[in-house]
Parts: sequence; C-alpha cells; structure tokens
Amino acid sequence: MTTPYLRVRNLTKRFGDFTALDDVSIDLYQGEFVCFLGPSGCGKTTLLRAISGLDIQTHGTVEQNGHDISALPPAKRDFGIVFQSYALFQNLTVARNIAYGLENRKQPKEAIRRRVQELLELIGLPDSGNKYPSQLSGGQQQRVALARALAVSPGLLLLDEPLSALDAKVRVYLRDEIKALRRRLGITTIMITHDQEEAISMADRIVVMRAGKIEQIGTPLEIYHQPASLFVAEFIGAMNLLPALLVQQGEIQLGQTRLACTVNGFAPGTAVQAAVRPEDVVCTGRTNGHANSFRAEVRDLEFMGPFFWLSLSGGELGEHRLRAQLPSQRARELDLRPRDSTHLHIPAEHIRLFPEGYSHG
Amino acid sequence: MAEAAVLAPPRIRPRLSRDEWLMGGGLCVLALYLAITLLVPLVIMLAKSMQDRDGVFVSLANFIKYFTNPALTGAIGHSLWVSALATLIVIALAFGYAYALTRGCIPFKGFFRLVAMAPLLAPSLLSAIALIYLFGNQGALKGWLFGESIYGPIGIVLGSVFWTFPHALIILITALSTADARLYEASESLGASRWRTFATVTLPGARYGLISAIFVVFTLVITDFGVPKVIGGQFNMLATDIYKQVVGQQNFQMGAVVSLILLLPAVVAFFVERWAQSRQSSAVSSRAVPYHPKPRPVRDLALLGLVSLVALVILGILGMAAFASLAKLWPYDLSLTLRHYDFNTADGGSWTAYGNSIEMAFYTAVLGSLVVFSGAYLVEKTRIAKPLRTATHLLALIPMAVPGMVLGLAYIFFFNAPGNPLNFLYGSMAILVLATIAHFYTVSHLTALTALKQLDPEFESVSASLKTPFYRTAWRVTAPMCLPAILDIAIYFFVNAMTTVSAVVFLYSPATTLASVAVLNMDDAGDTAPAAAMAMLIVFTAGAVRLLHAGSSRWLHRRTQAWRGC
Repeated sequence: MTTPYLRVRNLTKRFGDFTALDDVSIDLYQGEFVCFLGPSGCGKTTLLRAISGLDIQTHGTVEQNGHDISALPPAKRDFGIVFQSYALFQNLTVARNIAYGLENRKQPKEAIRRRVQELLELIGLPDSGNKYPSQLSGGQQQRVALARALAVSPGLLLLDEPLSALDAKVRVYLRDEIKALRRRLGITTIMITHDQEEAISMADRIVVMRAGKIEQIGTPLEIYHQPASLFVAEFIGAMNLLPALLVQQGEIQLGQTRLACTVNGFAPGTAVQAAVRPEDVVCTGRTNGHANSFRAEVRDLEFMGPFFWLSLSGGELGEHRLRAQLPSQRARELDLRPRDSTHLHIPAEHIRLFPEGYSHG
Repeated sequence: MAEAAVLAPPRIRPRLSRDEWLMGGGLCVLALYLAITLLVPLVIMLAKSMQDRDGVFVSLANFIKYFTNPALTGAIGHSLWVSALATLIVIALAFGYAYALTRGCIPFKGFFRLVAMAPLLAPSLLSAIALIYLFGNQGALKGWLFGESIYGPIGIVLGSVFWTFPHALIILITALSTADARLYEASESLGASRWRTFATVTLPGARYGLISAIFVVFTLVITDFGVPKVIGGQFNMLATDIYKQVVGQQNFQMGAVVSLILLLPAVVAFFVERWAQSRQSSAVSSRAVPYHPKPRPVRDLALLGLVSLVALVILGILGMAAFASLAKLWPYDLSLTLRHYDFNTADGGSWTAYGNSIEMAFYTAVLGSLVVFSGAYLVEKTRIAKPLRTATHLLALIPMAVPGMVLGLAYIFFFNAPGNPLNFLYGSMAILVLATIAHFYTVSHLTALTALKQLDPEFESVSASLKTPFYRTAWRVTAPMCLPAILDIAIYFFVNAMTTVSAVVFLYSPATTLASVAVLNMDDAGDTAPAAAMAMLIVFTAGAVRLLHAGSSRWLHRRTQAWRGC
C-alpha cells in the first residue's frame, strides 16, 4: 500500500455550461475494490467513463500503474469493462464472446480454447460455451460479460451498474459471486452503483458522490457510522434528523430533554441537526436505568418481520418525531401498543451533529 | 475570475486512436461522395437557372421569362390541383384499406395486403398504359367516362392513385397498428358511441401518420414524370415540362428554372413529413396494451366490400397490362401471342435494355447497400467530428426532397461539363448507378440508422476495451446483426432501380438504355403493346426478386433464430 495503482487528480468534466465532474481526486490501491456510490446524475458514470477513456475529462489527470493515461483512447488503456446492459455480442456463442479479446492477440487456437474453458469454469457455466447469450438468464449473461472482460487479464476491472438490471434474488447471489471471484483474482476493481446496500456489502472502500463532487471516501463502516456530511448520513441507510440546540459542550437540548453527545467544532448556543440511526435508539419500556434517556409515546408500530418500525413523539420529545428499529424479540418482551409511553435511550456516541439550515434535495 | 483563469489546469486534448482516424477519414470520404453525387450537381443547377445559353449570368431573366409565359406557368396550377386531388383519393382509399387490415375482422388479410403492395413492383408508366387500354380511344370501358377523355387530368389522377396507393398504405398501416387498447376500453366504459370513439381515439392516434402519408403521396405525384408523360396528352405538368424543355427544346436553362419551381413543394413536403415522422414515433408509450379487433358484422362486411373493390381494381389494372402485352392486335384480334415480347421489332425497346436494367439494378443494390450501410454506421458510431457527422446526415436526407427529374438534370449540368474530370462517367452505366443510389438514398439511410440504433451502444466500448479494432467488430457483430435491414435496403434499391424513370431518363445513352425508359420510348413511338410487355417484364422481375428476398429472409431468420432468442 505504498504507491497507488490508480491516481485520479483534479478531474473536471464539462458539457457546455454543465459541470458533470468537479475537481475530483481519488487514489486506488492495488487489489482494492472501490464503489462509486451516489444518486443518478451525481457524476459517478462520468467519472468511470473518464477513467476508461470512453469520455475523456476536460481537465485533470489519470495515472495508472505510474503511467499518465489522461489523454489516451480506451484501446490504449488497460481495463476490462462490464455494462448494466451486458453488451454481449448476440450473434456469437458464449465461448466466442469470451474469446473475443483473445482472438485479436494472435494466440494459438488451442491456448484460446483452454483459456475460455478455464473462464467458463470460473463463472460456473462450464457447459454453456456453445449456447447463445439469449439462451441464458440475465444473471448468467452478466457472468459471461464478466468472463469476457477478465479474459485478457486486465489490470483494472470496471463495473458499470452490473447488477441493476437483474431480479432482487439474482442480484444478491451475483453480488457474492463477484466478491468471491474478485478476491480470488485480486484484481483492482471499480464498481458504480446507486444501491447503497450493494456498495456496503461489496466494497473495500466507498466513494460517495453528489453533484459532480466527492462527499466522502471511506470504508463501509466509516461511511455508515461516521458520515462526513448530512447528505451522506441521509443517503446511506435510514437516519433520524432532529433539530436541536447545543446548550454547552457535550450536551444538546432536544425537545424537553437534554442528551449528552460527542461534539466537534460547534460553539455553544448553535442550532444543529442531531442525526441518530433508528437501530441506535434503544427502547427500554417502563424501566429507565440509563443515562441519556427520555420518555416518549408510541404513535405507530409497523411489523417488518425481524423487527418493528416504531414511530415515537410526544412526552419529552414534544413535537419531534423519531423512528426506532425494535428487534421483534425485544418487542415481544415489552409488549408495546400504540399510545403506550416508553423510555428510550440513545448512547452518546451514536448521536452526530450537523449544521442546521441544510436540507437534502 | 482572472485568478481562476490563471489557476485553471491545462485542458486535456484527447489523443485519437487509430479507429478514430480511420472512422473520421471514412466520414470525410462519405461526405465527399455525397457532395459529388448530390450537393454539387444541385448547386450547379441553381447557378444554371441564372445563366443564358452561353453561360453568361443573367440574374432572374430566365425566371421572368418563365413567369410571363402563361403556357408555362399554367403547369404550376395543373400540378398542384392534380396532385392534391390524387392525394385526397389515395388517402381516403388507403385509410379505409389500412383500417380494414388493422382494425377490422376480415378474412384473407395476407392476400389483400399482398395485392395492395403489387403496384410497388411496376414502373408508374404501367398504370397509365393499362388505363389507355381500358379507357383510351379504343378502350374496353371507354363508355364509363361519359365522353370525357382519359388523356389529361383524369388519366393522370387515376394512374397516380394506382401507383402511389401502396406508399400511403404502408405508412397508414404502421400508424393504425400502434393503437393502445386501454384508450378504447376507457372510451367504451365512458359510454362513447363508436363514431365518437373513432373521432376521438382512432383519428387522433393516426393523425401524424395521416399527415405523413398525405405529404409523401403529394410529393410522389407532383414529381412523377411517367404517368403524365404517357397519359397526360396536351395537359402540361411541371415534371413533363422539364422533360419538354430539356429533351424537346434543348433549353437546359429553362429546364433548370422549372426544376427549381418543382423543388419548392417537394422541399415543403419534406419538412412537414419529417416533422410528422418524429411526432409519430414518440406518440405511443412503451406501456401501451396492443389492440385486438373484435368482430362487428356490419362494419366488417362494409370493410370487406371496400377492400375487395380496391384489390379488384389493382388486379384489374395489372391484368389489363398483362393482357395488353399478350393480345395480338388490340382491340381487333384478341388471340394471345408472345410476339410483343420480341422487342427487336419495336421502336425504342430491346432485350438489351432489359439486360441493362438488370445489370444496373444489381450494381445499385450491391453498391448502394454497401455505401448506405457504411455511411449510416459512420454517422452513428464515429465519436469525433460531430459537425461533420451532422452535415453528412443532413446530406443523406436531401434526396427525399429532390424530384428524380431535377436530380437527372442536375447530373447533366455537372457531369457533362467539359472541364469536369468526372466527365468520362457521362453516358456510362456508372452514372445511372450513381444517380439511382443518390435518388433513393434517404429511405435506405434511415432504415440502416434505425437498425443500428437498436443495437447496444456499448458494443464499441467493449470492443475498444478488448483492443479490437472497430472494423472487426463491425464485420463480425454489427453487420451480421443488421443483415435483415441490409437485405431490405438492397431489395429496395433493386426494385426501384428496375422501375424508376425520372432520374435516368436524362442520363441513359444508346448503349445503356433501360427497360423502364424503353417502356416510355416504345409508348411514345406508338408501340403500346410492346411497351406493356416490357412493363410486365419489369413487374415479373421485381416480383421474382421480392420472392427471392422473402425466401432468403425466412432462411436467414431460421438460421439465426438460435441467437435471436425466439
């Protein structure tokens, strides 16, 4: 982990007056799996296309393995790419699709055949070489597209929303497949997705993007637990955002209650937004044995299978509304009903503060 | 701001790959090709309209001479009202016919469809010749005209209706088949009467198709030369006036003036048609539920009556031409003979002309589909030189607005100019092929573009990432996947090359006379029966090629159904 494998520096892409990518810099290390995550139009696809050379940036540089590739056409770069649409050659068999990049390199036929078979086995379709893409399911086609990209042993694998066109179940299955396969090959990979669950479960690091800029780069745990901005906090997972007042260092006023929290960089007296994940709100029922606790009324209970969504307000919360995730087993023990009053506890380290006045969207 | 400008990093100048150089080069070649075979000749014609016989610039003198001569300007009115009337009749009939085929429950839909397409196989001259046999001075049904003469506007309108009918029908069938069943269910559930449903759902749904069909037919009729030439008699129209000025009086400058006047309505029609086309394609959402007609005896019987009548007339006209070509001496000796097919005794026709036509149609089909498909590929896939791509695409759209007569005359001006290094093409087979490709370029170009747009746009990206040159992917993936469209284009070129008269009538030489032109010349010389025979020969040839195409398409479909997934 000394020198980065891919260095992206100050990348900017303009289409006329519109800035699709605004001064983006990232380092990728050898063997890393990085996800570009963000809503549609955030610039993640533009960034991927700049890295691949398919749509070259207006300003900024890209270095791969120590070479400056900023202005090179895609054919002069070293990458394999998989698209959401698979982009398989429909009129060629699966084997010919996988062999497509190899046939151009003047390798002996036998070597190509062996390599294709090896890849077919790698993707778990050893007997499908003679089939045509349209005879395979969507998930199988995407695996073939992956094999075709990997056939030429590229240094960098680019995945452009590879799972978005698939059914939910196939998607989860293929997610694990890609993860395992990638780990085995150790290939540096960039995947773009708008699905945060996909990014969290697959990536070593996540790059959260918004409006052409990077909001945060970090491991899934960092992104989830220490969101750098309100946008990231709201975009990844569920989040309660509650207007509060910082009364003194380490303490906020929320409704009629005061809660301890870790504070960074706000002066006492500042109006803030307190961000709390629903699963970090602990429901203790009638007992109140904790610090950082308060009382509220249950407005609604929504059964989700493994857990309940709890809508809370009133009591010490006052006008504020809070959603909590209550494990089903715990809910059975507490036997909560709408309009019940209950004690709630939020550990101080799970309350994050953001400046007020910004709202998402 | 000034500071920001100083700090701005240098703009990245993408390095072009070999693919991009090659494709850019190809695009330049294509643009040059279209300029030489289309744009430059038209511009030169424009210049010629402002010169006198000696090539001296005379400003608008030719136009003034034209507009002060009532014998000439009369053609404008003639052309306009005859075309409008023919269009009205064709659209009414074709709409009913298309409605019956798409919304009615009538038997033998396949047969009726086939019959309606038959006129596409014939030169427009054929209908005129058949009409002369039916209603001419010695016509079988002369009495039906109540003493009116078929030679003139009546004949032109009837003949035009026959040959433009399938063109309108194709557009209207497309427009009517994209109906959304949900709208009909909604209308029915709201208690609307059938007429109200027709007026508020059916007609609006097909309105862009109707507009499109109206302008296509109007353009076809006003620019057609064959029908008015054969049956127009003393009734002059713009297209025949160009021919008279150029061939009869050798007054090329006045020919250019009339050409420009004829170009005007065609250009207007072109823009309206393009507008309607773009609206039609976006009118149906992907969530529409296809409409399936339910039987309604009274309506269906009326539709069947209409369809049968139209089909009978089409078959009657074709049958009349066929019979005319076989009857020994119409109307005195009706015993059958094949001697009219021995063209060597007729004035202006020969089997050589037929051979030339086959040769010309073959070259046009092969070369035309090659040029058009590569051209559409370059326009669609090149990633650089956007202005050049747009310009080339616009060039490819021009032929639709240019009448064949105008193109032919423009070719004379350009290729026959003494200083032109391409002068050697004049009078050759090659110039006929070039003119025919240019004349029918637009529809083929749009067909190829549509086929290319249906392919995954990322094929080229994948191919580049696999370090495969673009031409390899084009050859191994793109072209094979577009093969049905390429075959369609080839057949379109072939059939049109067999039947066209207008562009080539100025360009053939004694050595390269064509079958369609021979029909014209034999008819002109009074050899009407051999003219009918030659016209039928064209019908048979075009029909045979169509059958061959249908067969090969089916074979291709079977062969490729494994990967087409059906």
